[in-house]
Amino acid sequence: MKQTTYIQAITDALDEEMARDESVFLIGQDIGLYGGVFKATKGLQDKYGKMRVIDSPISEVYIAGGSIGASLVGMRAVPEIQFADFITPAMDQIIQQAQKVRYRTGGEWWAPVTFRVCCGGDVGGGIYHSQINEAWFVNSPGLVVVMPSTAYDAKGLLKSAIRSNDPVIYFEHKRLYRSVKEELPEEEFLVPIGKADIKREGKDATIISYGYMLHQSLKAANTLSEEGVEVEVLDLRTLLPYDKEAVLESVKKTSRAVIVHESNKTGGVGAEISAFISEKIFEYLDAPITRVCGLDVPGVPFAPPMEHYYLPNPDRIVDAVRELMSY
Amino acid sequence: MAAATKKTSKKKKDVDHPFTDKQLLEVYHYLQKTRLMDEQMRKLFRKARFAGTFFSAVGQEATTVCPAYLLEKDDFIGPSHREIGACITKGITLKEITTQIYARGNSVDKGKSHPCHYGRKDINVINPASTVASQTVLATGAAMAYKIRGDKHVAIGFFGEGGTSRGGWHESLNFAGVHKLPAIYVCQNNFWAESVPASLQAGVKKFADRAKAYGFPGVTIDGNDVVTVLKTTKEAIDRARAGEGPTLIEMLTYRWYGHSEIDPADYRTQDECDLWRKKDPIPRFEKYLMDEKILSRERKEGIISEIETEIKEAIDFAEESPYADPEEALTDVYGENYG
Repeated sequence: MKQTTYIQAITDALDEEMARDESVFLIGQDIGLYGGVFKATKGLQDKYGKMRVIDSPISEVYIAGGSIGASLVGMRAVPEIQFADFITPAMDQIIQQAQKVRYRTGGEWWAPVTFRVCCGGDVGGGIYHSQINEAWFVNSPGLVVVMPSTAYDAKGLLKSAIRSNDPVIYFEHKRLYRSVKEELPEEEFLVPIGKADIKREGKDATIISYGYMLHQSLKAANTLSEEGVEVEVLDLRTLLPYDKEAVLESVKKTSRAVIVHESNKTGGVGAEISAFISEKIFEYLDAPITRVCGLDVPGVPFAPPMEHYYLPNPDRIVDAVRELMSY
Repeated sequence: MAAATKKTSKKKKDVDHPFTDKQLLEVYHYLQKTRLMDEQMRKLFRKARFAGTFFSAVGQEATTVCPAYLLEKDDFIGPSHREIGACITKGITLKEITTQIYARGNSVDKGKSHPCHYGRKDINVINPASTVASQTVLATGAAMAYKIRGDKHVAIGFFGEGGTSRGGWHESLNFAGVHKLPAIYVCQNNFWAESVPASLQAGVKKFADRAKAYGFPGVTIDGNDVVTVLKTTKEAIDRARAGEGPTLIEMLTYRWYGHSEIDPADYRTQDECDLWRKKDPIPRFEKYLMDEKILSRERKEGIISEIETEIKEAIDFAEESPYADPEEALTDVYGENYG
């Protein structure tokens, strides 16, 4: 059985979409000749040429804005932001143009751009190569924000993102590139944007997570199962617009909710999900909604013990669920 | 400038250019239309007939009308907020302009953006964002798309000299230089970025010199001389279409009024304003047309009367048009249904 890694799933999705639709092109730093710093675009420049896999100068504003401009005249751009930490200059174009262009033109124009953003910690990347800044984008209606946790979702979501007529911020977690793999269907498949996925069923509590932390949550669920606590693990997959029905349905069933994400807590996705649950189904809850998140500090610190102290881990997730169970 | 222009008009005594009398008259028409419309909008704002503000381009018309006049329908323009002339010339109707300014429900944006953010997709005019020179990045991206596809279209980015200080502007021109993109960069140097003088904007005296850093030509011209603007822009467009790469054209001009109608522009001297009013591009061009017997007094009156009627109809149309239902605020967020 052929196992496909998360990063290979990304490469395959790009390849398939470029073969299927000649308006799809890639642009980014080191993505052509070098095949990407993580090799996500390996082989694609040889196959599709230098003007469909463009090695850009170190120019994040242009990588984003040029992609948007090209998309306005019929292209489907897939720019790569090498590290999520470096997306800040591109924010100007992502927010002022990609997010707003459909709205500010009354639906006349739109920007079908998929920003592939490599993110995440637990790789010793230090303070400028580990960030996940998904909350900035989740606070920006008009953008779609997705973050796959499996090879299947990585491929299916990327293909859906490229075909969408909306700008999509596609966060891919570098810790998962080669550590996660599975057998994928031979035939083509898509994963719908806006749909969460139950990665493990349970009845006692719901963990809502995404990305790398989804895997840490599954580990925690295994430990808890040995103690007789059956946890449901809901993979959000799409962070904006997120699957509100799936969140409510699961928490109604379990009456307890823990939200786990790697980025810092204050003003994060967990705050939104938590507020939403309590606004809608407060009477179903048997315990307070809890968050297990990264620390409220400016970045993921470098020294390994400090980085591990920053990151949520299965033990912290287990502790949070135990606390809810005994509330 | 490498591309040679073909001479098709013979009778010009002292000005050598390739444009026909008919073309020059059309340009004159668009210049007058832009001027008269602009002055009307200023008056209406001061009568509080619409909200927000208005960004007058009076004095700068040649710099936007002439480049837009030379484009084909599918060519792209990325205007800024002061490019009413380019928008009108590319094909945006006066009714589209008034309903946009009045933020009515039948405007292209349904009232969601801001006055002076005109645009329309079928003629490739992107409605601007307010972030200065932002559309220059988009125009460069459009030019990149044309290069990828092998299309013969070109893209123009319009901006003021102040916009040339922004990072995205430099990143775009740099990229355009690397790939010889079919782009034309029109810098309207009106000497003031809102209240900041050009001397505080850049260490170079000529903004066109910025092109040297990106490996393509930059030229500085009199932006109030219609024929010069037409000629120079045509050469740049021809170069771009021939695959020879971008050109930066710095056009020296002046905005007569404030940055917007709420700016008294008291940072400038009266002498400076008076000097530039004497360089008004429209009477200069008009005199040329009359000297060359291309335009007569009667023809001029006819053109102006026709424009005034169209403006009045456009204003009446906007004033009679309702706002969109407030719940329209909830639409146009996404193109797909993710529910």
